[in-house]
Amino acid sequence: MSAAGRPGARRPPVGRTTVRVGLALALAFAALAGAAGYWQVVRSEELVTRPDNPATRALRQEAVRGLILDRDGAVLADSRFDADGLPYRVYVDDTVSQVVGYASRRYGTAGLERTYDAYLVGLRTGDARTDLLSKFVPDPYDPRNLQTSLSLELQRRAVAELGADRGAVVMLDPRSGEVLVLASTPVFDASAVADPATSEAAFTGLQADAAQPLLPRATQGLYVPGSVFKIVTAAAGLRTGAIGRETRYPEQPPAEKDGLVVEGFRITDGHHPATASRELDLVQATEVSCNIWYALAGLATGGGGLADGAAAFGFGATLPFDLPTSASQVTNGGGPLPGGFADDVELANASYGQAETLATPLQMAMVAATVANDGVLMRPRLATALEDPDGGGTTTLGPTNLGQVLGPDDAAILVEAMTAAVEGELGRGYTSGAKVPGVLTAGKSGTAELGGSGEPHSWFIGFAPADDPTVAIAVLVERGGRGGERAAPLAGRMMAAYFDMVGR
Amino acid sequence: MDPFFLLLWLMRLAFLGLLYLVLFLVVRVLLRDLRAAARQASAELGRLVVVRCPSGDPAPGTVFVLDAVTTLGRDVNNSVVVDDAFVSGVHAALTYRGRAWYVEDLGSTNGTYVNGLRVVEPTLLGFGDAVVVGETQLRLDRGRRSEHRT
Amino acid sequence: MTATAARQPVGLGSVRPRPRWRELALLVLVGLTLVVGSLSLGSTEAWLGSRGPGGVPPEARLADLGQLVVFLGAFLVVHLAMVLTARRVDQVLLPAVALLGGIGLLLMERLPQDLAGAYGGLSQTQLLWWLLATAVLGGLAVVVRSDAWLRLYRYSWAALGIALLLLTFVFGEEVNGARLTLTIGPISGQPTELLKVLLVVFLAGYLSENRPLLAESDLRIGPIRLPPLPYLAPMVAMWAIALSIVVVQRDLGAAMLFFAVFLALLYVATARWSYVIVGILLFAAGAAISYALFAHVRIRVDIWLDPWADPLGAGYQVVQALIAFARGGLIGTGLGAGLPEVGGRPPIPAIHTDFPLAALGEELGLVGLLAILGLYLVIIERGLRIAASAVDEFRAILAAGLALVIGVQAFIIAAGNLKLIPLTGITVPFISYGGSSLLANALIIGLLLAISDPGVDPPPIPRRPRRLRGAAARRASAVGGSR
Repeated sequence: MSAAGRPGARRPPVGRTTVRVGLALALAFAALAGAAGYWQVVRSEELVTRPDNPATRALRQEAVRGLILDRDGAVLADSRFDADGLPYRVYVDDTVSQVVGYASRRYGTAGLERTYDAYLVGLRTGDARTDLLSKFVPDPYDPRNLQTSLSLELQRRAVAELGADRGAVVMLDPRSGEVLVLASTPVFDASAVADPATSEAAFTGLQADAAQPLLPRATQGLYVPGSVFKIVTAAAGLRTGAIGRETRYPEQPPAEKDGLVVEGFRITDGHHPATASRELDLVQATEVSCNIWYALAGLATGGGGLADGAAAFGFGATLPFDLPTSASQVTNGGGPLPGGFADDVELANASYGQAETLATPLQMAMVAATVANDGVLMRPRLATALEDPDGGGTTTLGPTNLGQVLGPDDAAILVEAMTAAVEGELGRGYTSGAKVPGVLTAGKSGTAELGGSGEPHSWFIGFAPADDPTVAIAVLVERGGRGGERAAPLAGRMMAAYFDMVGR
Repeated sequence: MDPFFLLLWLMRLAFLGLLYLVLFLVVRVLLRDLRAAARQASAELGRLVVVRCPSGDPAPGTVFVLDAVTTLGRDVNNSVVVDDAFVSGVHAALTYRGRAWYVEDLGSTNGTYVNGLRVVEPTLLGFGDAVVVGETQLRLDRGRRSEHRT
Repeated sequence: MTATAARQPVGLGSVRPRPRWRELALLVLVGLTLVVGSLSLGSTEAWLGSRGPGGVPPEARLADLGQLVVFLGAFLVVHLAMVLTARRVDQVLLPAVALLGGIGLLLMERLPQDLAGAYGGLSQTQLLWWLLATAVLGGLAVVVRSDAWLRLYRYSWAALGIALLLLTFVFGEEVNGARLTLTIGPISGQPTELLKVLLVVFLAGYLSENRPLLAESDLRIGPIRLPPLPYLAPMVAMWAIALSIVVVQRDLGAAMLFFAVFLALLYVATARWSYVIVGILLFAAGAAISYALFAHVRIRVDIWLDPWADPLGAGYQVVQALIAFARGGLIGTGLGAGLPEVGGRPPIPAIHTDFPLAALGEELGLVGLLAILGLYLVIIERGLRIAASAVDEFRAILAAGLALVIGVQAFIIAAGNLKLIPLTGITVPFISYGGSSLLANALIIGLLLAISDPGVDPPPIPRRPRRLRGAAARRASAVGGSR
């Protein structure tokens, strides 16, 4: 300040701070614009196609929904009209009810009918250009047919195989994630729920049923996995480098007879006569399904490694799928050990699929499929295309790669181990029932002990042909007995039916 | 394509377009106004030049750039502090109202004079006018438009 | 004021009208825009009405010409009044407000008329409030030629505000879990709306008076410079008021608005970040305490973090708003074609007060929403511009505060709608349905217009309180050294 003494200049002028406050507010409004762009453009399609969008709900009353088709074009869901000329749904086959779901005027929607509601009623077509142009015409609604990867033939076979038992069968193509079979028993009659005349009685009856037919066991049933989980443990150990194909433990196999003591808890294992006193490597331990080897492998991997490995397969969260799924878990969490395990006893038990470990059949099918697909996890999916019934073109819903869960070399070790479990000499007594005649088959059975006196859950996961897998499978039979006795042969017959269908 | 729906679409787009037209015109006004303000921001309202001051504080020739409200007096919290025994603590005020300067006496002991006339009520002050407080004489000058760029 | 009038006669008779072409042109364009909007809305409704069996081919028509004409007429009257009284006030604020209000009115016409409204339907009542609001706005803009009545009675205004607040605390009626509405005789309203204006008036007086002390102070706690403790009292008081509004009124939005405007004005007056930081810390502490102690705060925050945890219950409003934004997409469904009804009701509860932006986001799309946000920025810019060119601090802080109230309020509710911050139930200025809100915001615009006139009375000579002399002396010596 030279000769001119400027009154007021002693303090910063109000003008400059005002400009700064204005700029701050402009930034805040820029954030608003960003948020608006996020919801209105980035997340728009996803939110609009949500079943709780009222636009879909409003349309549901009057819209003639598109067809739902299986992979061969067989109609799974069709529409009829009641006396007032209003449409309602009819479903061709009870065996797909938990997958296709229902669309009822009174009880809303479930299953694929719910997930793809916006497309089936024609609010969206799945094609951005059509969606934009459709707004130029008087009736902007354009229902789509939903193409699925389901095989009605195999689905029927799976439900028949499960028979009176409660359980689930999941078959998918490990290369593309396309789900061929997603069967849960008992099944229910979805047409009765959709038909306005019988809707109320049918639905209340189903809700009261103790067998819980409305529960889609394949995707939402959580079961102790038992020995099928050993594949996850092996993958987690291989990922961290804690174990390798040649890993042997000195306690093995003599400890089999007395069991392995971890922090005072004795892990027992049936003696495998064929192993004599040999120390087992990974392949042999998998072949004979040795709990003690896997307990030691899990302890070597550590809780964090095991939890991370399982999470890579999808454990710990709902699965990215066309239907709602339950989150599988390795542990309840909250414990002091890495990964949330309470102590080494829980970690050791979890390593062979007991303790607090729970998995859905779909999750275990994804484990098998990942091993079969060189360690690459594909997003499982049912919907393959949205098709314009008037021939206006088809939008294909492509496969999604969810990432490399384990290296191709590690995957090859597991393929070898699972092949040995079905084809090997040591394992004959356990899993050989899954063998598909004439096809090199890989798999792992599981017998999930539930405590108490009841029968264990019977599990099997596997794939075939082992040298170039085209199909992966998970079978669960609630209280079905030993895995090798119930689930494994069932899986073998299902895979055989698959190869019959596709002509090898 | 149905002409009615074409019309509907055109009206929808026209509404959005008009919204932006209003916004565009308004923003243009704002920008013009800001540019004009930037040109004027450094323009001074007026200057007060010390012509005579017996004590030498402020020294004759000192220039004060004026704010809209400027007080003269002996107290240190006046805008223009005049060290003159005949000037009161808070002596007089110069205010810029609308587009002209006014001077008013704030109840001083010895009074304020403009061109020799005693100020009794707020009085219009022209550029070049002499203001006398106590023994100090000041002159109101036109403010400069400095070359301040933004 | 009277003394000035005597010296500088400004009586109506002696004043020549001063045309305001820019304002008129903008108003005409706003009118045209609204007519096109009405045409779009009316035609869409005709189309929707013609659907189904036996429908006749739809024809283009206006939604409600009468209401639009009355609305625009009111703004033209204000314009003419300012022309006739030769005010040299801002020419942009009025058209911007008219456009926002007009869009709001179109939305009210399009919503079910029985949502609210004491006098006729929703839009009719809103129009009635708009007539009152334009009268307030125009009246202030034309009549007010001095701010002395605000400046001199700042403590009285503050006392009035506190009294209103306390009255609401005691006698307020609870609506939707928030105690906001006060009924005195035949008049019922939400005093917090008026309170925000009174708050700004008081703060402008207080801050301009104590600015030197607040700006240059010496109490240090570690790296933070604080003003002398007595001057911290208003900050603590503001904080307490905001917190009490949260506790007693359960009105998170008003509390957030008051505190944010207070902090911004404190910064404007002092240019000191330390106040803002201390204020934000206080806010964080208050928020943490409220979260821990009060269920209604906790619910709001939890909904904000994950509305999809309970999409049919607590999170319903927010989820539905987000889906509405999503349905709008880039260019929207068009006026009248969005908002699918659920059981004969719009999909979002309280759409006309708390979620008009979600409705407009759906029907006008991202493009339209951005234009609306832009209009708010224009109003803020005008207010801050008036502040920056004001002749003294009181008027500068007053103008900045008035503009900030509108800007911050628009931000808080828009951000709540868009899940940027927890949702709080305050209105969208000029768009939301509601008399108190419209009148308070009209009051703000009226004041802004009035003090934007360069011919308005000059501020009185500042008479600094004696306690400031010491600080002033120290400052003067420092300046003297540099001379």
